[in-house]
Amino acid sequence: MEKLTPLIARVLNIEQSIIFDNSSPETISEWDSLNSILLVIELEKNFNVKFTMDEVMAVQNVSDIKAALRRHQVENEVIE
Amino acid sequence: MMEKTSFSDYLNRNKVIKRDSSMPEIKVALLSNFTINGLAEVLKVKSYQESIWIESYNAPYNQYVQEILNLSSELYQKDPDIIFLLLDVEPFLEEFFYFPYRYSFEQRKNFVNQKIKEIESLLTILQERSKAKIVIHEFLVPAYSSRGIIESKQEWGLTESIHKINQQLRDVCKRNDRLFTFPLNSFCSYNSNSLAEPKIFYLTDMRISSDGLIGLASEYLSFIYPLASKSKKCLVLDLDNTLWGGVVGEDGLEGLKLGPDKEGRPFLDFQKLILALFERGIILAINSKNNHEDAMEVIRNHPFMLLREDHFACIKINWQDKATNLKQIAAELDIGLDSLVFLDDDETNCALVRELVPEVTVIDLPKDVSLYPSVLKKLPFFNLFQLTNEDEKRGKMYVDQKKRSLLELEIKDLDTFIKQLQIKVLIRPADGSLLPRITQLTQKTNQFNLTTKRYQEEEMHNLFKSSHYFIQAITVEDKFGDYGTTGAVIVRKDLDQNCWHLDTFLLSCRVLGKSVEFALMNELLKKAKAEGVKCIKGYFAPTKKNQPAEHFLEDCGFALSKEENKIKEYTFNFNEEFKKEILVEVKEWKN
Repeated sequence: MEKLTPLIARVLNIEQSIIFDNSSPETISEWDSLNSILLVIELEKNFNVKFTMDEVMAVQNVSDIKAALRRHQVENEVIE
Repeated sequence: MMEKTSFSDYLNRNKVIKRDSSMPEIKVALLSNFTINGLAEVLKVKSYQESIWIESYNAPYNQYVQEILNLSSELYQKDPDIIFLLLDVEPFLEEFFYFPYRYSFEQRKNFVNQKIKEIESLLTILQERSKAKIVIHEFLVPAYSSRGIIESKQEWGLTESIHKINQQLRDVCKRNDRLFTFPLNSFCSYNSNSLAEPKIFYLTDMRISSDGLIGLASEYLSFIYPLASKSKKCLVLDLDNTLWGGVVGEDGLEGLKLGPDKEGRPFLDFQKLILALFERGIILAINSKNNHEDAMEVIRNHPFMLLREDHFACIKINWQDKATNLKQIAAELDIGLDSLVFLDDDETNCALVRELVPEVTVIDLPKDVSLYPSVLKKLPFFNLFQLTNEDEKRGKMYVDQKKRSLLELEIKDLDTFIKQLQIKVLIRPADGSLLPRITQLTQKTNQFNLTTKRYQEEEMHNLFKSSHYFIQAITVEDKFGDYGTTGAVIVRKDLDQNCWHLDTFLLSCRVLGKSVEFALMNELLKKAKAEGVKCIKGYFAPTKKNQPAEHFLEDCGFALSKEENKIKEYTFNFNEEFKKEILVEVKEWKN
């Protein structure tokens, strides 16, 4: 299982070092609408979870992703 | 096995690839009525891996009608080589999709016929305004209906209507060489998870999932290959654990897995698929490390072997390395290494071949033999836009060629060899049925081609209809078999000057060096004299590849009369006798 930050970095094709809890489509230009969806698909595959549509729409930044993963009982050590 | 490449990997790779000057460029346009973002990028990366460069144009979301109708749209400005039209059935049918039974049977029928007309006229306009090949997706037949289990009993019901639209689309494509349907329904049934999840659909209007788009791009490669003239001709096969299970040197003929039992069936089916490719015209060859006698024993005598000696144009069963064998196979068949596809179960062999002869396309067989047949079903390399009789016979023609070469080894003198072949040349005026093949010859013949004029089908049709031109097709056979239509002559008649100009004079390399070209010219000159023609002019336009034809006109008694822009013009001297001895039998076409 890939950890969260490397996964985001891979999908957005950016350095891990520029990803913070408050990173969002506003702060990372690579985080466009297509990549948002690919992020959902990759997160679901990697962590073996299924988000609801409401959960997806509620995500504004990285810390929202973390919260959603925790709600789905994903282990803290792969999130942080 | 390699890990599956994810959609975002493709997107990221797309950002770093650069065109290599040797890559042919294909311009692709994608038109759709739903979100297909990323498809162009995946196709570009997949094509790049096959050394093809894609310039893509993704029309704005749901603007396909405007793009097609507007003469000055981006679509036409991009001048694509191929257009993919992906229409989802729901927006296409609008309200009818949800409420077909608000309408009477007659109204449903009228509505569907009107939708068919709508799409047909868009395709007609597209064809008139663009030279591109056009691929339209079939409409996906839904699984749900408000009528439930009696849906299939409804005349012009939703399901039946969509089937009818699809059938109509296929009929339109049958009548048009440049139009193709993409079988979306079977694509979806054989590729699980190819439809977008509901959540993704509602958030983005993607109707095909990211995995589905990756699968689609692979299927599209089947169209890109022939466009880029990269279609392969020959399938080279390993034997042990490829055509049969087990190792003949260890297990013996009786111990091999091949036949109708559980263990043997994957290999039997594998051979069936290969045999069907042979019958479609793919050349077969063997490249195996084995004792020649042991392996030939299986090929000749195993009761369930479907592929026999006579299916293989070249057999290399020895202890040489497989790369060397592949080079020899290409040389003996006189085809490029890049025309070969090599199938082997052994990773080391595959790696060696990739390293030493990178031109060859190498397919690793999976560890699980039950997956062997599906490997063959997914090869995109052998596709052609049109299958001529010659294409279908190619596999067998190369086997015949093998027998000819054996004869050649025994004979020293070339003229004697040619006479022994008992070559018959049939010269016939072109008719409609021959035009696709003649067009193909002008596009593909490089070596013996005086002018190398490449014609498209419509241009060829225009020449055919014109009273200023006549076109001849040349069919060749010898005692070993039929070469099919392998030559063409196009003459432009200058009626004012009573002069003939050789617009095109070409022969496929398969029949070169057999004196066929001289017989052909001799007949043409006889015909000219009989028709009272006063002058004949021939032309030689040099290319990188047509040296074999360089001195042909001089050899036939033509004299150089002019040279302009590297194109040499020759004039025939009617006082000269035709000096070349004709070694082949020429038959005139009689209706």
